[in-house]
Order: sequence, then C-alpha cells, then structure tokens
Amino acid sequence: MSSTMDAFTVLAISCGAFFFVAGTIGLLRFPDVPTRLHALTKADNLGLGLVALGLLPQVAGPLAALKLIIVWLFALISGAIVTQLIVRAVR
Amino acid sequence: MLSAAADQDLRTTTALTRAIGFLAFWLILSGFKLGDLPAGILAAACASWASLRFLPPGQSKRHPMLIAQLMLRFLQQSVVAGFDVALRALDPRLPLAPGIAICRCTSPMGPLRSGFCTMASLQPGLLPAGFDADGNLVVHCLDVGQPVARLLADEEKRYLRALGLEQHHA
Amino acid sequence: MPEFLFGAALFILGTIAVGLVRILYSRQAADCMMAAQLIGTGGVAILLLLAVATDTPPIVDVALMLALLAAFASVAFVGGLQGKASAQAEDHRK
Repeated sequence: MSSTMDAFTVLAISCGAFFFVAGTIGLLRFPDVPTRLHALTKADNLGLGLVALGLLPQVAGPLAALKLIIVWLFALISGAIVTQLIVRAVR
Repeated sequence: MLSAAADQDLRTTTALTRAIGFLAFWLILSGFKLGDLPAGILAAACASWASLRFLPPGQSKRHPMLIAQLMLRFLQQSVVAGFDVALRALDPRLPLAPGIAICRCTSPMGPLRSGFCTMASLQPGLLPAGFDADGNLVVHCLDVGQPVARLLADEEKRYLRALGLEQHHA
Repeated sequence: MPEFLFGAALFILGTIAVGLVRILYSRQAADCMMAAQLIGTGGVAILLLLAVATDTPPIVDVALMLALLAAFASVAFVGGLQGKASAQAEDHRK
C-alpha cells in the first residue's frame, strides 16, 4: 500500500517539476511580457498543484493534507489576480 | 427592493455565516488548538468585517451544485491551460499568435465582474487585461485564432447561472 | 522518500534560478514583478517539499506567508507603477 502511495508521490512530483521546467522555458522563449506572464502563471500553478497533490499521501493526517490544498488554492487564486494586475499595468 | 429591517437581517445572517466559515478556515490553518481559540475568533471577526466591506451580501439565489460544478471546471481548465502553455513553450516552432481580443462582458460591475475575470484568467491561452472605454473586456490571448468571444460568453453564462443572475441578462 | 523530495526541491530551485537570471537581464519593470510571482509559486513548492521531507509542519506556514507576501509585493508594485504614471501625466499637463 505504502509503496503504491510512494509511486504516486514520485509520479505527481516529477510531473510537477516538469511543468516548472516548461514555465521557465516559456519565460526564456516567449517574445513579450504578456506572453511570458501566461507561461509563468499557468505552467507554474499547475506545477505547484501537482507537487501539492504528490505530497498529500506523505503528510500525517487529513488536517495537514487539507492545509496543503489550502496553500495551493491560495497561490492559484492570488496568482490569477496578480497576473491580471501586471498585464493591465503593462498593456 | 428590500425593506431596511430585512436588509439588516440579511447582513447579520451573512456576517454570521461568513464568520463561522472564517473560523473553521482559521482552525484548519492553526491545527485545532483550544488555547488559540480567542485569537481565532478575533481573526474571524476582522475577516468578516473586511469581507462585508468588499463583498456586500447579495440578494441573488445561488445554486450550490452549479457552484461546485464551476469550481471543478475551474480546476480542470487550469490543468488544460498548464498543458497548453507547456506544449507551446516546448514546441520547437513556438506556435504563438499573441494579440488582443475585445469581448462583451455582461457580469455586473464590481466584485462579481472581478470574480469572472479571475476565472477567465485561468482559461487556456486567455488573460483578461482590464476594460476599454466602453466597458468591454480586453483579453490578451496566446493565439488570436481561438474563438475567444464565444469561449468567454459560454463561460460567463455558466458563471452567472451558478450565481443565480442569468435572468437579468437574458 | 525524503531523498527524492530533497532532490525535487533542488531541481525546482534550479529552474527558478534560471528564470531569475533571465529576468535579471531585462530592463522592464514588469519583469521584476514577474520575478516576485516566480519566487512566490516556485518558493511555495520548494517549502512544501522541504516541510514534508524534513517532517517540519511549520514550514507549511512559512509557505503560506511567502504566497501572501508575493501577492502583496506585486500589488504594491503595480500600485506604485500606476501612481508614477499618473504623476507623470500631471507633470505633462503643467
């Protein structure tokens, strides 16, 4: 049971790391500020989500797991709002 | 139009519901220690006061099932958006056609419209960038070939239906 | 398992570092705000990984704080930028 969970953790976190790489590559390759913002927020938010998902089976109890989800949701929503502010400022 | 007394009732109920929600949230964050409860109650009271200032109680009938569906869709779309941008970034040909699209936006001004923009900003390839002089939504797109206006109109219809507002904008 | 989590944290730190170097060579103010966002998201991921790898739950609170600070930093930056822009517009009118 625990090895299945560990395999899940490794898979999800590896996928998360992949999206962080994709986000950075987008940051390097995309031509202007708004497109780079797309790369940064959308890819990195998914990366963070997958990392949090992968960590869920490794934490002590449901409360700690819930807290991980809250941290991710908070980063997701604040990121979505801040991105709009930045793109408005540079448009 | 609601009478003043009914309005006051609505405010009190909303304030209490929100305070309980905030307290539960605070307890999750702090890990359920009874000794911390006074600080939690204080924090929940401050949070409810701020939330009533920024998001006054609405009179529309919300549909919890539709809102839950909307949340799920929000998560699903953010996954699709991540894949979309990752594929574009990794593609050697860099398939981008960035540009600006102007879309009509029917959500009422204020927090509700901001909420819709935040949802829209997690749609694949779309990023709302404020409003033009006529109140239309300015959207930055990774690919102007997408049917941006139709996508957003569909999304907005779902959003307004979940919040019980669609009949005003039929 | 902790070894894998440490490795993943180090790897994500590497990708953030590359992104930050890219941003460092840009002269646009918007890129600085992107740096705050990048450190926000990536930093939260690293801190969550470390919290579980070292079995130190309070690090999750640090992650939450970092997310909060990153959001406020960007909001303040945009506010400052718009304030500056409107002050310049005032100067032009004079």
